[in-house]
Amino acid sequence: MSVEITEVAAEVTIEPVNRTGVPVFELDHVSHSYGRNKVIFDVNLAVWPGEVVGLVGDNGAGKSTLLKIFAGYQKPTGGQLKFMGKPVSFKSPAAARALGIEAVYQDLAMVNQLNLWRNFYLGKELKKRFGPVAVMDRKAMRKATVDALAELGLTRIRSADDPVWALSGGERQSVAITRANHFGAKLLLLDEPTAALSVRETRNVLQSIRHARSQGLGIMYIDHNMNHVIPVADRIVLLEHGRIVRIIDRGEVGVEELQELIAMRRQITV
Amino acid sequence: MRRLLSILRIREVTPLIGLIVVALFFTLRTTNFVSGMNMTAITGIAATVGIVSIGVTMLMMSGEFDLSVGQNFAFVPIVWAILFVSNGVNEWLALFIALGLGALVGVVNGLVTTVFRIPSFIATLGMYFGLQGANNLLISGHQLIMFDGSLSMTILGGQIGNSPFSMPLLWLLVIAVIFWFISTRLAYGNWTLATGGDAGPAKAMGVPTVRVKRINFVVSSFLAGLAGCMQFAYLRGVTQAQGDKYELLAITAAVLGGTSLFGGSGTIWGSVLGALILSSIQIGLVLIGVPGSFYVTFIGVMLVVVVIANTRIDRLTEGTR
Repeated sequence: MSVEITEVAAEVTIEPVNRTGVPVFELDHVSHSYGRNKVIFDVNLAVWPGEVVGLVGDNGAGKSTLLKIFAGYQKPTGGQLKFMGKPVSFKSPAAARALGIEAVYQDLAMVNQLNLWRNFYLGKELKKRFGPVAVMDRKAMRKATVDALAELGLTRIRSADDPVWALSGGERQSVAITRANHFGAKLLLLDEPTAALSVRETRNVLQSIRHARSQGLGIMYIDHNMNHVIPVADRIVLLEHGRIVRIIDRGEVGVEELQELIAMRRQITV
Repeated sequence: MRRLLSILRIREVTPLIGLIVVALFFTLRTTNFVSGMNMTAITGIAATVGIVSIGVTMLMMSGEFDLSVGQNFAFVPIVWAILFVSNGVNEWLALFIALGLGALVGVVNGLVTTVFRIPSFIATLGMYFGLQGANNLLISGHQLIMFDGSLSMTILGGQIGNSPFSMPLLWLLVIAVIFWFISTRLAYGNWTLATGGDAGPAKAMGVPTVRVKRINFVVSSFLAGLAGCMQFAYLRGVTQAQGDKYELLAITAAVLGGTSLFGGSGTIWGSVLGALILSSIQIGLVLIGVPGSFYVTFIGVMLVVVVIANTRIDRLTEGTR
């Protein structure tokens, strides 16, 4: 496994993150409860442009909830969200998307029943005038979808009318990340994008993450596999029982050590 | 074989074949299936069932059901008739009020379903009984009759020139074109299918899934009320039994037309064809001398067979879609 990391890490020299400016997104003393069940406790966290923040922790640590708060899918019950330094409150994921926050969820990436182009442009359909009404520009959406997928190397795709359920898990994630990039996101949220992917597919996904980072996107990234977090993350945030217990800078710890940290938390809690 | 399968994937092809088979069968078994009088009867039934079914189809595409359409089909024209025939309110104002009340039924259905997060099956079943009571209260078993057709009634339900067809058929085509356009050419159509297909990712992509459902509940109720008014205008009378079983006929027409019971897929023209199949069978069975009550039995069996067949075709054509 460690061979794979050094190989991936050696591919690019990584520019350090400039954290002097305004963060893309900031959580200020954020907490969240589902009914009486409190799952996020007083979290302070910022993501700067061109930074990849890896969010790690055991199951139930609150990673997905935190991501959903970022994406406007959950409204936190306490604290303040700030986008580009300004306080914001999202009524819906559409409001977050309008600001340039694109999320790719593990299980919520695509609608199975819709074909590729309908998925690619879902919620942000291209329109053209048809008399007094704005109709979907289906031709343009089909073409752009096929182009974007060809760039991804998904040559197996014959047409933009192909059903999404014909894609593999990795292809779906890549399509979803491409889609987010395509819409000029400022902050990209990824929920286990490499879960259940082959080595090659993982590589492609990690490469698209790096590509997005080099474009100046802030990226927040959940993954269970430390081999996939360490090579791409500038900072790793360790979450436990809804609290940030440690923030680790790039190169500070190795894979084994990080795995130990997550598994053995109880023994080293301050 | 592959090409054949991909043709079968066009949702309207299967119901079209079904309609042709049904029409051929009755044409061969009877002497007068393709007569003017029969066309009047078949298209008359298909028109109102079809319009109700179009609304139900939009709602089913977004993943919800409406069992109250049959009662709304009587409720709206009863309100219209009471205001306009019995109380002399301006016919257009009365129609506007009645259709508005019909749409309000959809607002309530949508709110009850989405706010309390209960199955629409239950919410609209409650509305079914509620409206049944209201209808009974309003005309308590009587029949409201309008002897002289007024302008609005001629526009909604009159005969088209000297043809065997009447206005509801024309309205069916107009409404079908409108909703075909909405469902296939507008982003709203994409949102409707996404909402019914899988609301989670749709919401994550910024589709206002709850609003989409609420709008489609109103569409369903409004069209049911409008079709009910056409029926009243066509028959020049209304009883509280009007629209009996229409909720099930509309769903059946939609399913015959290829609309998924689980949301996420369906076509408007498919439902129109489904309505034509239903009415052809209804009239055809009468012509070959089968007892009228047998019709519903036949429809019931066919519904189950078609759903089984659709599921099989879906499996067969996987990968060619």
